[in-house]
Amino acid sequence: MTRTVWLASYPKSGNTWVRMLAANCLAQDGRPVGINDLSERSGIASARAPFDFLLLIDSGLLTHDEADRLRPRVYEQLARGAEDDTYDVPQERPPVRLVKVHDAYTQTAQGEPLLAGNRGADGVIVIVRDPRDVAPSLAHHNGTGVDQAIAFMGNPEACFCAKTRALTDQFRQRLLTWSGHVASWLDQADLPVHLLRYEDLQADAAGTIAKALDFAGCPVADERIGGAVERTRFAELQRQELDAGFREAPRTPTQGRFFRRGVAGGWRSELTAEQIARIEREHAPMMSRLGYALSGEMPTARRKALS
Amino acid sequence: MHGYGIAGLSVESDIALPGLIARPLNGEPPDVWIRQAPVPANLENPDASGPTWEMSGDRFLLRIPGIVRFLLTGGRVLAFAPEGPVEDVRAFLLGTAFGILLHQRGAIVLHASAVKVGGKAVVFCGASGAGKSTIAAALGQRGYPLVTDDVGAVSFDSAGTPVIYPDGRQLKLWAHAIAQLGFSRGEAVRDAIEKFYVEPREVFGEAMPLGAIYALREARPPIVPGIERPNVVDASLLLRRNAYRPLLVQRMGRRADYFYAATAIAGHAGIFHLSRPLDFSELPAGLDGLERHWRETGLTEKPS
Repeated sequence: MTRTVWLASYPKSGNTWVRMLAANCLAQDGRPVGINDLSERSGIASARAPFDFLLLIDSGLLTHDEADRLRPRVYEQLARGAEDDTYDVPQERPPVRLVKVHDAYTQTAQGEPLLAGNRGADGVIVIVRDPRDVAPSLAHHNGTGVDQAIAFMGNPEACFCAKTRALTDQFRQRLLTWSGHVASWLDQADLPVHLLRYEDLQADAAGTIAKALDFAGCPVADERIGGAVERTRFAELQRQELDAGFREAPRTPTQGRFFRRGVAGGWRSELTAEQIARIEREHAPMMSRLGYALSGEMPTARRKALS
Repeated sequence: MHGYGIAGLSVESDIALPGLIARPLNGEPPDVWIRQAPVPANLENPDASGPTWEMSGDRFLLRIPGIVRFLLTGGRVLAFAPEGPVEDVRAFLLGTAFGILLHQRGAIVLHASAVKVGGKAVVFCGASGAGKSTIAAALGQRGYPLVTDDVGAVSFDSAGTPVIYPDGRQLKLWAHAIAQLGFSRGEAVRDAIEKFYVEPREVFGEAMPLGAIYALREARPPIVPGIERPNVVDASLLLRRNAYRPLLVQRMGRRADYFYAATAIAGHAGIFHLSRPLDFSELPAGLDGLERHWRETGLTEKPS
């Protein structure tokens, strides 16, 4: 049975980069996987199409809460190997299904995990990024100012695709606050967790993805990983987007590119002192838990050296 | 008792079905009975099943928790047991349940809306949210009458020509589309959601030949806006993917039917991909492209 592992992250935390790296490591014949080659239909847990396909119900006629009640059934089916679409030839089965998810780990009103707990997946790779870098990236993605993005990250009611006046191709995704999102995934007890920090991927992409793929149960040879790292350098992803566009990019042209800067620590030049202070005030405990030093603090190593 | 015509069938219903035009029952037994009746939670020894459905012989059970259970028998009897307000049943009855019933009757059932162009039906199919109803509504504003909305059943006349029945359905649109297109809201499709019936609607008519099928897809990179004609193998897959519930085509063993239908439709009409941005500001240009395509393919007269 193909294993299922969630790639869970708050938006703009490097999920697409991890998917690209993993896809290039796992490609059956070692062929390059481009940004528009990533699986589309079941590429993200919140996609509507597999729900309508498997349950036969028009999800567009359901309220967000009614749809949530049935979503666990879809993840159980897919984890058991159900096809999510009709094909002419059997689809190539990758050794592991890595499925992106932005939903926080929440319960439905009926009291079961929205993502079906251990019946929906075998584990989760939780991808995190310094919230001070998430904020400007999220502002860019949502086409808002940075202050609005920071407010969004602090709003426990924050959702993606929660519209009620039109139908989107994804279900409502409850995100909670940035801290709440990360905590929901790290502290759930249904699935084994592997924590992956965006900053570690920046510092050592090969080593970091190797550990994640080990966790996912499909170790990959070093030379293969080396090639995948080369093919997914940020400048290369940007080049592909410039060349042909990226189908997962925001639809509004004013929002510009999906692959924006791809740096760690960019917040130092992008945020005002006030914005930095607000993020640190609202998210200090989780930042400390993940090893993101508050700007007033010195890194532990330096503090030790000075004492 | 209420009488309706749906997809060329005479239908007798216990409850009024909004969005359809009543058609008096003429004393003949109807093709389909819609009845509020007890529906079991499960079927014995199902031949196939999913988390919300079970199939056993000529019986098909569909459960929508908290809303309704449907039991469809032999393509003739559609029984429903509400699990909530009976008003909530209607939206699911006409789409989901009737769509499955048409499969039981052996129809080629498409997830599609259609308008009448030069005496033929032009069909737009795609997943929910792909813009089927929006395009049909906007074409209505350009003078093309509505043929069907959401579900379209294709059958073949004695000469083997693919045909589709107008059934007097009313269009259903989301609040945003209604505002963008300047329609006024009719009754809510369901109180809990912001989707409404709007005029126009087509009156009953005889079966009309199929003029073309367009499968809608969003023009997001690297897909650029335009109309393409897929090869016959891809056209066959495309028809099956746009069946009303493609999983049923598999589970009811009807792949061959869809393959032959695709071949016949490709021969008589045409099966195309229509790629366009979902943005409303781009809609007029998309419709211009369609009208141009109809002139080029002979569906409408070329301007002299």
